Amino acid sequence: MNESNVTIETAKSADQIKTEKAKPAQKPAWETPKLEDVSEQVMAQPYIRFT
Amino acid sequence: MNRIDQLSAPLLVCWQLTRDCDLACLHCCTDSAPGKRLPDELDAAEAIRLAGDIAAQGVPYVMLCGGEPMVVPHFFALAETLGRAGVQLKIETNGQRFDAASARRLAALPIRSIQVSLDGDTQEVYERQRPGASLARAHAACRAAHDAGLPLEITFAPSRLNVDEAERVIERALALGAFRFNTGALMRIGTAARQWHRLEPSPSQYEGFRAMLDRQSRSLAGKLELCYEPFTVSDGLRASLAVPPATLLVLPNGWVKVAAALPQICADLRRQTLSQAWEAYRSAWRGDTVAGLVQGAVTDPLRHAQANTWQSLVVVPF
Repeated sequence: MNESNVTIETAKSADQIKTEKAKPAQKPAWETPKLEDVSEQVMAQPYIRFT
Repeated sequence: MNRIDQLSAPLLVCWQLTRDCDLACLHCCTDSAPGKRLPDELDAAEAIRLAGDIAAQGVPYVMLCGGEPMVVPHFFALAETLGRAGVQLKIETNGQRFDAASARRLAALPIRSIQVSLDGDTQEVYERQRPGASLARAHAACRAAHDAGLPLEITFAPSRLNVDEAERVIERALALGAFRFNTGALMRIGTAARQWHRLEPSPSQYEGFRAMLDRQSRSLAGKLELCYEPFTVSDGLRASLAVPPATLLVLPNGWVKVAAALPQICADLRRQTLSQAWEAYRSAWRGDTVAGLVQGAVTDPLRHAQANTWQSLVVVPF
């Protein structure tokens, strides 16, 4: 296991889906953070990477 | 629009639990040492509440660091609150008190990395940079993590005291079963800034260090990941101007930094929710003030030495 190949997809709640359908133009298109995005974030920040 | 403005929560929370540490390392970037616990650090109840908030907001990844996180009495309670809620964890430790029992307990959680600092491959050199520390205990911590099935990561802070042993530490990391060796230029922040005259590697040492890293990176491809780019804090800050990191750095008292290497604070998690802190962070990065501060730190690395003199960034009141 390492940081480069783990992914968690968080299912959207019913409320989220309902909101997106009801007012697509008025609500920000929130993106749920996913774990697969994280490694690059960690490694791009030397202070965070090896404090 | 910045990517962070599309995210409902940070991708990463880097949480410095305490300034207290069981070591007084010369290169420490957080000014941590024995007895350096801050008077206003979050207490156990506040920290557990924050951990619950982090999990509830859907943050996928949390790093617990310090100081030494394992000196915090509620360290395991925090890790378990986060981990049992599905938050993936990285633990950064000096390994002096990480034993088999600790490893077994953490192995029940979704741990992505146990990062142990190995700043030398002989006791003499290791202790020069980490006075009073035991390299044997740090190696034992690595073995305990690996034996428990935990992903092991090694970090190495280069200085003129230890850089000649860097290659041996890489070989050690491989032998200990690590998946990654993590390094970069020494950061002129905290204790390291005050000890700079003793620690800063010479240009020729850095040249040899980077050449060795390039060579070993090719040689060990597929066996051990060597991570050393961006190499300097300035390189990282420069990149953040184009893509602000989706990272909240939480200090021991609950304050949230605008950027790790800057002193400015944009939120206070003792008084605000994580959602409010995330909005304050994103708002800060939308303004020109932060861009100017980051640009200033890129062009003048001496400013990094002020990173631990925390001050409020008056962009969003908190």
